[in-house]
Amino acid sequence: MNDKYVIEIKKRPWYEWLLWLGWLIVEVNVLQMAIASGPELEPRAQTLFWVTFFVLLIGGVIVWFMRRSK
Amino acid sequence: MSNQGKVRLSRRDFLRTLGLGVSAAAVGIAAKPLGGDAALSTNPSFEARHFSDPAGRPNRPWWVKTVDEPTVEIDWAKMKRYNEAYIPHLEQGTVRGDGFKAYVGEEKDAELGKLNNELLQHGVEENIPGYTIKDQALNASQSPRVAISFLGPQKAKTPEEWGVPKWSGSPDEAARIVRAAFRHNGAATVGFFELDDNTRKLIYSIDPDGKELIFTDDLIASETETQRFIPNSCKYAIAYTVQMSEETLKRAPTVLGSQTTGLAYKRSYQIQSSMQEFFRGLGYQALGCSSTNALGIAPAFGVMAGLGELSRLNRLITPEFGPMVRVFVMLTDLPVALDKPIDAGIMKFCRACKKCAEACGGGALSFETDPTWEIRGPWNNPGHKAYYEDSVKCRTFQRTDTGTNCGICFAVCPFSKKDKAWIHEYVKAGASTAPFMDGFFRSMDDAFGYGAQKDCEEWWTLDLPEYGCDSGGML
Repeated sequence: MNDKYVIEIKKRPWYEWLLWLGWLIVEVNVLQMAIASGPELEPRAQTLFWVTFFVLLIGGVIVWFMRRSK
Repeated sequence: MSNQGKVRLSRRDFLRTLGLGVSAAAVGIAAKPLGGDAALSTNPSFEARHFSDPAGRPNRPWWVKTVDEPTVEIDWAKMKRYNEAYIPHLEQGTVRGDGFKAYVGEEKDAELGKLNNELLQHGVEENIPGYTIKDQALNASQSPRVAISFLGPQKAKTPEEWGVPKWSGSPDEAARIVRAAFRHNGAATVGFFELDDNTRKLIYSIDPDGKELIFTDDLIASETETQRFIPNSCKYAIAYTVQMSEETLKRAPTVLGSQTTGLAYKRSYQIQSSMQEFFRGLGYQALGCSSTNALGIAPAFGVMAGLGELSRLNRLITPEFGPMVRVFVMLTDLPVALDKPIDAGIMKFCRACKKCAEACGGGALSFETDPTWEIRGPWNNPGHKAYYEDSVKCRTFQRTDTGTNCGICFAVCPFSKKDKAWIHEYVKAGASTAPFMDGFFRSMDDAFGYGAQKDCEEWWTLDLPEYGCDSGGML
């Protein structure tokens, strides 16, 4: 047996980390707005911010897994 | 070499841990408004700390710029001192008091007054939210007020009576201690400007009670049956704001919503009398309003003292509290450090917004995109480029439809926010620096449901802070 396996490891480019940092900052901001809309007694704004937060969160998780499996 | 005992962290794990840490910290910051002191504070932007400015000016965000000329254009040559009482032979003056009767006619005034009373009676009998007996009772609780006068109570022991010289300090020091005292007595923000040949025109020619206001070379202010004398030495004008409850006024136009205005006026009576005694205690004079809305044009004082900008409401909008304040005026002979007008993009924002004009049931507010020099009636004071309102339409609507002071223009204004969510700070900064975004900001304000009238019965279930003022202030 003389099987050889070549494992290629691709380094993620720097701008990908920058994009993830941008995503994180947006998420943190939207989360703050969602939480703070509670004490502001603004139910519609609160709902919209929570929806935005979870859509971005789920989107981020999906992209992460897709990129990870490549 | 053995790695035993060492924790090895891959780059991926390191970044993941870092990301989680940042997220946790951010959530912690974000959750702050939910509990603790911040939720109880009337305005955390003024949490206890030393003044960073020698004159005690509050720290304002970077997007609030001081400017030499106010954002409302003024033609001082055209401006005259205003009559805050209706003058029959001139057919000119305020719509307050007898003015409204003069503008609509005696018969119409009586008819509207009857209609107004019927509305309120109907509200109580039918238990209409915002007009119920408990709302009326709360409204009645705003009536008892301390007496106010032009000269003040004059009871404080003066430095002369103590046998010491009157207080002295630099103008910065004077402004700082006056600000500290005003805020301690309940004012939200305080600003100063000097009366010169132009700005004297912001002092009424006639007070609401019909007394003439006259500048004099006398050193001591005085008052007769028909006149009030302002010494030329009392050239330092003070404008101060008293917060209104945003959460309460968002129930406008109802009795419940409008009584927060009465509460702010009631508080101002106490503040004015207290501060007149403070000045007397220092050895100086402080001239105040002899009644509600007396002495001078309060929004104009607020503009000149840098507390805010004039707006489509034709009232002051402040960067800190939006229009959720009442503005009050005083004069003193204590030399204080002066302030400048500000530009926070508010007047520009009004060009694109028009939300207040759309919400105004009486059609009293201007829909013009740009402010104009043209007045809409003899109740307006010409000489500044503004969004003049039809005050008769405003007052008529209050009698035919709301039965009480309206205030819906204040309630729907996009600047009327509690400022707990960071988005409001971003929008205000955007309005100040990127006016081309103003239309988008207005649309988003609607989309997110801001400014919608809130449930009056729900108000009675809310655990609000003192005076119902729950403004988060600025970070």
